[in-house]
Order: sequence, then structure tokens, then C-alpha cells
Amino acid sequence: MEAEKHMVGDIVTAATILGKLIGAGLAMVGVLGGGIGIGVVSGGAVQAMGRNPDATGTIQTNMILGIAFAEATAIYALVVALLILFVF
Amino acid sequence: MTLEKSRSWRWGVNRWIILGLVILGVIGARAYPPILPHVQLPAEAVTSRLFTLPVIGDFYLSNSIVAMLIGDVVLLILALSVRSAIRSGEMVLRGIAGAIEALLEVLYQMAESTAGKWAATIFPWMATIVLLVLMANWLELIPGTDSIGLIHHAEGAAEGYPVQQVAQIGELPVLTIVKAGAEHAAEEGHFVLTPFVRVASTDLNFTIGLALISVVMSQVVGLRALGLSYFSKFLNVKTFFSRPLFGVIDFGVGLLELISETSKILSFGFRLFGNIFAGSVLLFVIGSLIPVFAQSAVLLFEFFIGLIQALIFGLLTLVFMAQATAGHAHEEATH
Repeated sequence: MEAEKHMVGDIVTAATILGKLIGAGLAMVGVLGGGIGIGVVSGGAVQAMGRNPDATGTIQTNMILGIAFAEATAIYALVVALLILFVF
Repeated sequence: MTLEKSRSWRWGVNRWIILGLVILGVIGARAYPPILPHVQLPAEAVTSRLFTLPVIGDFYLSNSIVAMLIGDVVLLILALSVRSAIRSGEMVLRGIAGAIEALLEVLYQMAESTAGKWAATIFPWMATIVLLVLMANWLELIPGTDSIGLIHHAEGAAEGYPVQQVAQIGELPVLTIVKAGAEHAAEEGHFVLTPFVRVASTDLNFTIGLALISVVMSQVVGLRALGLSYFSKFLNVKTFFSRPLFGVIDFGVGLLELISETSKILSFGFRLFGNIFAGSVLLFVIGSLIPVFAQSAVLLFEFFIGLIQALIFGLLTLVFMAQATAGHAHEEATH
């Protein structure tokens, strides 16, 4: 009886850890969008710089801003994953 | 000629020092293999309770505040050295003062091209944020941060590692955490480390605080530029009665503007926090997996991440402040 109780507790702990890890992994799927966004932004910026090298400075500033905004959503997903792993 | 000579001599000694450090690193990693530390999201308190305020609660000296104070002190020393270099009357600044002059010049040109005539008002906020965040991020690269601190019992039963005594200073034993199951573990048990210094950017209080300063001050700059009509950006009732349909839409857009202003705080805070915290966890994990060479590459990567995040924080502050000064005036000109 005692051993059985112990085993149930072990299973619950294992399921908690399993759920945490799977949840963190699923949360990180959100990074996909950020990656695509950054790729689109910097691809467009490189094309623009190739066509008009004189405007490199302005384009670069705007590119970094755009990347920062695209990255923000990915970072939200990362923060959620970190919260799941280390806080809950 | 003499300069070249001294340089080559120094390089000849330096490479042996570096080789010695590499060998020392290999031996050290063999003797005490690095382990994955107990990662904790909120900053830990390094002192007992300092004082208590009635509503707010207890106050501790947390390890991220220590890191921020170190960053502040370094910034003050840099500022004083630049000041004394300028006072000395040299036309061309040399050394660290010259490097900081170059950095500030780049930042000021950026501010001028974005904010125009408000550059002088906005520049101090942006430059302060860039420099402070830069110091806070780069503290992560210094050995001893996140690894020297107080060892104590873990709170959870399943966490923590055994410890081993390596030296003794007076009454104070110097301990290190070793891998569970290591044969020379002196004392079994569950111990974790609370570092004295933890990178300030891995504490949400620091990043959200900076974000609040940035967003609130952009309202102040906007108010100074446009006067009370600045608030009509948020509570737009100008066209509410003259053009009923578009007036309602304008009013709704104003409310959305209010929401976007609030979400800026979150996006500012979480961007910096997420990047730097993930970076420090990456450093822990790589260090525990491949103790010797791999961490150097990751340290270089983190060097750039820290620089870019500091620049982005400052740049976004600059852009939002510039928008606050210019956005509405532009609209009035088109009407």
C-alpha cells in the first residue's frame, strides 16, 4: 500500500516534468514567426541596399528597427518558455 | 620604432600568458567539471531584510542591484575620465576618452538625423540608456559574475548538488559545487549557489524600470514639443462632431494609440530581458556541456547580442520620442 502510494507520487512528478518540457517546446514554436519576419525584413533591406548603396545608412537604421519589432514576438514566446521551465 | 619594438615584445609575452590560461582552463575543467547551475528567474537576495515599508513590503539587496551599481560606478568613472580629458585642453582625445567620444558622435548623428531640432533634448535620454544597458549586458562576459556567491541549502528536495571544500580563509570555508556522484564529494546534500553579482538585464525590475522611464519621458518630450494638444493624439475629439463617421474612427484610432503606448512598456522590457536571460542560460548550458573551448565562441556571440540590444533599446527610445514630438505637427500641416 505504502509502496503503491509512493509510485503514484513518482508518476505525478514525472508527468509534471513531462508536461513542463512539452509545454516549453510548444511555446517555442512561436519563434517561427519571428524568424520568418527577420528574414523578410533583412532580405528586403539587402535588396534595397544593392539597388541604392547611397541610402545604406537610412536603410540600416530602419532595418534594425523592423528586426527589433519582428523579434519582439519571438522573444515573448521565449519568455513564456522560460517562465514555464523555471518558475511554474 | 620604439613603439613597434615594445608592441612586438608585449605580443611575445601575451601569447604565452594566453597559452597558459588555456592550459589552466583545461586542467581546471578536468578537476572541477562545470555543472548546470540552478536557474532562477527572479533575482535572489544577497542580504537579510534591510527595512520594511508598510504597504510595499520587505526590501533586500538583490544581486542584480549589485550588478547595476557596478555598472553605474563604471559609467561615472568613464564620465569623469572623459571630463578630465576634455579639461586638459587636448584637441584630439586619446585612449578610452577618444573611444567614448567616437561612440557618442555616432549616437548624436543618429539622433540628429531622426529627431531634427529636438535632438539635443532627446539625446541625453537615449545615450544614457544605451551606455547603462551596454554596461549591464557586458557584465555578463566577466568571469565571476553568476559564479561567485553564497552556497546554501536548496529549498526543493530534488534540487541542488553536493559540495566540496577547496580552501579556508580564516573562519570562512571556501566551497565549490561538484557533480552528483563524484567520488571526492566531501559532503552529500542539496546545495545551490546564490551569486553576489547577477547581470542586471536578467532581472525584469531593471528592464521594466528602464522601459517605464523611456515611455513616460517620451510623453514628457511630446508635451514639451506640442503643449496640451499632444493629448489629442490619444483622446481625439476634434473631428467628432464635424464629420460624424470619420470622427468616430479617429476617436477609436486615438484609443488604439493609448493601447500601443502601454504595450511599448511590455515590449521594451521583455525584449531586453528575454535576450539577455536566454543568453546567460545559453552560457550556463554550453559551459556544462563543453567546458573548454565552446564557451569562447558563445561569449563572442553574447558580446554582439549585448551591444545590439543596447543600441536597439536606445534607438527605439529615440524613435518613439521623435514620433512624440513630430507626429501631430505633421498631421496638422496636412489638414
